[in-house]
Amino acid sequence: MDGGRTFLAATVGPVLVALIVLCLAPLGVLLVVSFFRVDFVSIVPDPSLHNYAQVLSSGSYRYLIAKALMSGATIAAITAVIAYPVAFFIAKRIREVKAALLTALLIPLYTGDLVRIFAWRLILGREGVLNSFLIWTGAIDRPIETLLFSPTATTIVLVYNYLPFMVLGLWLSFETLDDHLFEAAADLGAGRTTILLRLVLPLTAPGLVAGALMVFALVVGDFITPQLIGGASGVTVISAIADLFGAAFDWPLGSAIAWTLLVAMVGVVAAVVVILGRTPWGSAAFGRG
Amino acid sequence: MAIGLRRRDFLAAAGATVAGAALPWSPARAASTEIVWSTWNNLGLPDYIDPFTKETGIKVDQTYITTDDEQFARFKAGGAADVDVFVPGQWEMSRYIASNLVQPLDLRKIPNAAHMYPVFRDNALNKKDGIQYSLPYYWGINTIVYRADLMDEKPDWSVFFKGDKYKGKLAMRDYAVEGIMIAALYLGIPQTEIFSMDDRQLAECKKALIAEKALLRTYWTSIADLTNLFATGEVVCAFSWLPPYYDLTKRGIKMALSLPKEGVPSWCDVLAIPAGVEGERLEAAYKLVNYLLGPEYGLKLAYGGPYAQSTDLVRDKLPPEQQERIFIKDPAVMDSFVWPQIPRRYNEWVTMWNEVKAS
Repeated sequence: MDGGRTFLAATVGPVLVALIVLCLAPLGVLLVVSFFRVDFVSIVPDPSLHNYAQVLSSGSYRYLIAKALMSGATIAAITAVIAYPVAFFIAKRIREVKAALLTALLIPLYTGDLVRIFAWRLILGREGVLNSFLIWTGAIDRPIETLLFSPTATTIVLVYNYLPFMVLGLWLSFETLDDHLFEAAADLGAGRTTILLRLVLPLTAPGLVAGALMVFALVVGDFITPQLIGGASGVTVISAIADLFGAAFDWPLGSAIAWTLLVAMVGVVAAVVVILGRTPWGSAAFGRG
Repeated sequence: MAIGLRRRDFLAAAGATVAGAALPWSPARAASTEIVWSTWNNLGLPDYIDPFTKETGIKVDQTYITTDDEQFARFKAGGAADVDVFVPGQWEMSRYIASNLVQPLDLRKIPNAAHMYPVFRDNALNKKDGIQYSLPYYWGINTIVYRADLMDEKPDWSVFFKGDKYKGKLAMRDYAVEGIMIAALYLGIPQTEIFSMDDRQLAECKKALIAEKALLRTYWTSIADLTNLFATGEVVCAFSWLPPYYDLTKRGIKMALSLPKEGVPSWCDVLAIPAGVEGERLEAAYKLVNYLLGPEYGLKLAYGGPYAQSTDLVRDKLPPEQQERIFIKDPAVMDSFVWPQIPRRYNEWVTMWNEVKAS
């Protein structure tokens, strides 16, 4: 027993310490600083809720936080819809070239963010591949300006960037799905829709939720894609925080926005867990019911 | 160079945060004849600095700046202790001085400083209470750069704020100080008031900037990116640094500059010595500062940068076309300079800038 405890402490201990030092401590510092105020070039430890009041009373910061959460949720939803059949296909219909397909799926991730962004610029630009093609076909006679530097362009590139994360989560769920269950359900008279809704979806819900949470968090934190693809409307709450930390030396306000965003994200995730937890799919995902 | 975020690094904004934690940045200090110079990577090329080392025996180790903001955050977090000479932007000297990060300069040890153009010699941003803390080093302008083949007329600041002839083909730098300063210049707010604008003036600027946003294709963050946008025709006119003008002209695209009569934003990097540098290292630091303001280095910079020094020591050694290229042929251009500085209400400026972008 003691040996077991020692083993547990030796294996889990370093992870816990690393987690606390590398993850929680910086967040703790940010939290403390968020209650201070800045006086030109000095951070004055004069605790108050002033920064939080400023964040919550500012329509712009509220809008930017809501925009980040909406963007995360939207991209998670779109990637889920695209990834679901793709993951099913790879897991259940492919035998020979499964590894090659998964590798191909990950290839975009091997290139840097900027390479992917500039590749999309070449496709979506005023004189880009897509506009040139559409003009060549006669479908349009002038380039579509909003293909690039618009919210639509940002959505397209974000979906492209984060789709692999959703596919991977779902693929793992599909791989563990026992095909005999489909046969049993069909033998018992379940139609395709029933099998999908009452069997496949609940059993792949853990992968769906894991993928969605990952995509959601990554999209909320991505400020480079909106900045370089979104044009004049590409501002994000993260770039606003970066401006406050970097340019204005207003670490307290930057910290307060960062913590408000964090709490809002946790709130969204908690709400999803609670709402989904009451459904059969959620019960499967969160291990209840 | 220009103020703030100057390198082609999209992730640079995060650098300030990382640097704030004083992470691994600690150049080795060895013999007393070695000093550390915190500088931009294009200013201390071996060809530029070797003559100094040869002449004085002082070896110059360099560490490179990624952004002005990052350098300030690093110094605030104790990074100044590892540096003997550094290159901040003149516009942000007030925060180095207020933070006691720099020491007063003894101009008797920098004889080349006596040859400074008056506009630099007299600049108050390098002083506090009459004490000189930094010396202008090299400088340039940031102005309107445009595709002369795609625009019918020479633009001024108003192109960014009214009319829709070039709607969706304009770009503005994503930087609060310059963005708001240009709105103020367009609105005719006196230059002496720009960096201490009151609520009414800031509100006027905000209104103009929201109108501007509707005309923009994008806000640019990297000069390499802006160069690409010019080259592909996505953008025909921008408030810009000069590299797109030089690079694309060289590639055969008809580019042009416009220097608006309301004022031309200028930038100047300065030389300063951190507080705490003393003894032999201080003497060596002074020698380096003097060399960087001198003719031998200035000649290399005038062609290599190409940048003009703050001193006039090489002006007469340059042919007229090179003088023209670095804006010293007619020193009258210096009369139109607008020097950015840290606004009195900087965090409110940044908040307003974000509000405009989120509008």
